[in-house]
Amino acid sequence: MSLEIERETSFRVSSDVPFLASLWIIGGVYIILILSLLIADASYSTPSHFLKALQSEEIRYAIKLSLVSCTMAAILSLWVAIPIGYLMSRYDFRGKIFFDAILDIPIVLPPLVIGLSLLILFQTPIGRAIESKVTITYGIPAVILAQFMVACAFAVRAMRVSFDQLDPRQEQVALTLGCNRNRAFWLVVLPEVRHGILTAATLAWSRSLGEFGPILIFAGATRMRTEVLPTTVFLELSIGNVEAAVAVSLLMVFAAMIVLVIVRIYGLKGAIKFNQ
Amino acid sequence: MIDVENLSIRLGDFVLDSIDFHVPNGNYGVLMGKTGSGKTSIMESICGLLNTSGGTIKVMGRNVTNLKPASRGIGFVPQDGALFSTMTVRNHLGFALSIRKWERQRIEKRVVELAETLKILHLLDRIPYRLSGGEQQRVSLGRALSYYPNVLCLDEPFSALDDETREDMYKLLKLIVDQMGITVFHITHSYHEARRLADKIFRLENGKILEWDS
Amino acid sequence: MTSGSIFVKLSSSFGLNLLYGIGLNRPRFFLLASMIVFAALALFLILDLHESSSPSSEPPILLYCAAGIKPPVEMVVRNYEAEYDCKIDIQYGGSGTLLSNLKIAGIGDLYVVADESYIEIARQKNLVEEVIPLAVMTPVIAVPKGNPKGVDSIQTLIDGNYKIALGNPGAASIGKISKKLLTESGDWSAIKEHTTVFYPTVPEIANSVKLGTVDAGIVWDATVNQYSDLDLVRVPELELGPQKTTVGVLKTAKNPATALRFARYLAARDRGLIQFKNYGYVPVSGDIWREKPEILFFSGGVNRPAVEQTIQKFEVREGVKVTRVYNGCGILVSQIRAGEKPDAYFACDVSFMTRVQSQFDDSTDISETDIIILTKKGNPKQILALRDLAQAGLRLGVANPDQSALGDLTRRMLLSEGLYDDIIKNVRVETPTADLLVNQLLVGPLDAVIVYEANCANVLDNLELIRLDLSLAKAIQPIAVGRRSGHKHLARRLLEAIQSPQSQIEFESIGFRWIRGRDKGI
Repeated sequence: MSLEIERETSFRVSSDVPFLASLWIIGGVYIILILSLLIADASYSTPSHFLKALQSEEIRYAIKLSLVSCTMAAILSLWVAIPIGYLMSRYDFRGKIFFDAILDIPIVLPPLVIGLSLLILFQTPIGRAIESKVTITYGIPAVILAQFMVACAFAVRAMRVSFDQLDPRQEQVALTLGCNRNRAFWLVVLPEVRHGILTAATLAWSRSLGEFGPILIFAGATRMRTEVLPTTVFLELSIGNVEAAVAVSLLMVFAAMIVLVIVRIYGLKGAIKFNQ
Repeated sequence: MIDVENLSIRLGDFVLDSIDFHVPNGNYGVLMGKTGSGKTSIMESICGLLNTSGGTIKVMGRNVTNLKPASRGIGFVPQDGALFSTMTVRNHLGFALSIRKWERQRIEKRVVELAETLKILHLLDRIPYRLSGGEQQRVSLGRALSYYPNVLCLDEPFSALDDETREDMYKLLKLIVDQMGITVFHITHSYHEARRLADKIFRLENGKILEWDS
Repeated sequence: MTSGSIFVKLSSSFGLNLLYGIGLNRPRFFLLASMIVFAALALFLILDLHESSSPSSEPPILLYCAAGIKPPVEMVVRNYEAEYDCKIDIQYGGSGTLLSNLKIAGIGDLYVVADESYIEIARQKNLVEEVIPLAVMTPVIAVPKGNPKGVDSIQTLIDGNYKIALGNPGAASIGKISKKLLTESGDWSAIKEHTTVFYPTVPEIANSVKLGTVDAGIVWDATVNQYSDLDLVRVPELELGPQKTTVGVLKTAKNPATALRFARYLAARDRGLIQFKNYGYVPVSGDIWREKPEILFFSGGVNRPAVEQTIQKFEVREGVKVTRVYNGCGILVSQIRAGEKPDAYFACDVSFMTRVQSQFDDSTDISETDIIILTKKGNPKQILALRDLAQAGLRLGVANPDQSALGDLTRRMLLSEGLYDDIIKNVRVETPTADLLVNQLLVGPLDAVIVYEANCANVLDNLELIRLDLSLAKAIQPIAVGRRSGHKHLARRLLEAIQSPQSQIEFESIGFRWIRGRDKGI
């Protein structure tokens, strides 16, 4: 029996156009949706409102506080998220599942509840003791603390994923070359996850910028004290000043976009080259 | 020399028991076996990167079974080189030495010496991303040898190279090993490679190590 | 230049030197940098953004303010901060939400709400001390300017296909009041059906009408007055429920005098209330503003030991001055008739209040005390009843009937018993106030005096008290606020302090009987 082999001369694979088109359509529609929100906002306000907002003393304060507190919250989050992410990624221990679940609590809880819980916490004997030394409730530290509580949980998740994705080989080689775990961590592991760190930092920073609920409850909405940009939007709305609220919202978007784009450019450039 | 006695490894469902083999001092030992049979795990155990559940490992007569990788004096060249993506070749070669707090001059000297031998002198300031496969393997090798270890472990170091480069590597390797009097433990699935390099060949079959004389 | 090669260049120039020496390495460098940045930012916060050493030595006042009343309150706060060196922090939110907040936080000085029911709840939860009314607001229907959909009654809203926004009954005053009034008119369930959304604060309702997401909403008339693009529609069902915007002083106030000072400013007719009027509220008639007000307090002499402590505490708490004038009620009455205008008057007996009632607001009876006979210990003259005072040789002391209530009541009592002429023979001394009589009895040549039981608190060890079983042997003490007082609210607070349970204890320990609340059938 001989097999009749038909050698393939030409096989017309179906076009890629429909596939690409659907990707673009989905992406395009979503981008248009986001942009429409911004355009709608912009059309409600006027450039003069925008300028008036920038000239307001309270709003300038809110901008400064937002930028400073978000940065501090992001730094704090990194300080905490990197070690925890590494721990969860590399080590197994009893009760790890529960530990993991607890780490996810700030993500699962509504931010409002986090704010409320912080408020209650600082009324306990320990909390009061701390308050007698340093004003926290309704003060600036409360803003940073509230932002940190929410942002850090996301940073931990991001760092954990980064460490998980890291090939353990480099760390292992470092160990054989004479490093203890600490040395290997600082000299080899951290440089390898620098993109993950950047991602976690941007995540924490942008999360902090948008946070509102817990700050309102725990830090209050005091002008020229604990007012951050989202609070400004709330306060302007509360007196019916929708135009100003929208102007400030656009300001926030603007500021966030600048930071995110810069960070992305800086980060991605390295990422594209370094990923094989 | 490498002495493995009654080693057993448990990795999830994967189990190896009663692994025994001996590589005499200064000898070149090669381990062969089917893919997935556990060769890399044995190498990792020897290096101290994998916990064993029984048995002893001795290097140069010293029992290293419970020692950290750093204290075993074993150089490790993993399968894909595993270079540090942010460090230059120079830093790779000098890495182990700076950990050992050698003086700068001494490190420089050793680095240049290694680079000359491995013919990567012109690459000292490059980063791994801009090196070819062969160049990367040489750097990995240099890194492992920099601090004069007693034992060198190589996990399929040349499988990704072309024939010509591979031949060069064999010559280079043999040269270095003879020069330094190192005991080598080398994993490969190429008979040709084994016969070219080995003093002793082992086979891992059905969870048992057999010496293979050909 | 990619980030990687920059990194590497830096790293190798660093790394060559530093890695070889295992001192610093890049990640550690970044850690250090991040700590420096963090510290720098923290420093920046403390120095630049934080109000460096508030000029006033007083800590800032924390004011919880319902979101809907924000505009006038904010204005008043600004004026106050400018006029006086004092910082006020304001926390905004829905009245109900604020109450929960301040209860948990345990800090705060003042609480300003749109309707008194929240203050009531705060009082019940023992969170609020003094309460001062500010202005009146009435719920109305808010519609876009020009009332395009022609809303004119609750019925229209129910019948037509309108989108309505209401306040959340649990979180906002307006929500609670809307529900209460509409439930009373029987429209609540119908309106609820048509309600598109329940908002937690008044401004959100107004905003949604302004933006057009709903056709109408129920808000305060004052709120509509603040929005240029809204009109209001008054309807009878809602007109029934005007609410008083009130400020309450919290028990957690660190410095009550400071907090009360601002509260008084807020409620002053020539300060805070002007702002309320500007923003379309109907202000109550408030006190005149004085930084440290002084009020004039007239009181019968017998009341002095009972109220003195209370008044002192009041002065400290409020940070005000109370000028006390204790005298015989007859003297006080003639002073009032001559033109004196006390802000509050506490008489020894109702008969001496009615004489000048036109000068005062309605009075409240606080306490009563019996008229009794006081004699030397052991009752040597064996006085058992009023007629025994007619015995020959008895040296009697009474109060002057023109100058004091006691004297007047004594005379009336004697006249009605038909003993006046007999007993008047024995009167050796007439004084304007009772305490002088007691002193005379103690040290001097008298055998008996007719005084109030309340005059005898300290002397019962040395003297003997004989009761008179007569209906007229009693004085009832009323208290009232001056009709033309410029500090009526302050005076009323003083009266409240005098009517407090702690004050009651003072009264009873001296020999008064407490009757406050008795006429209310309690």
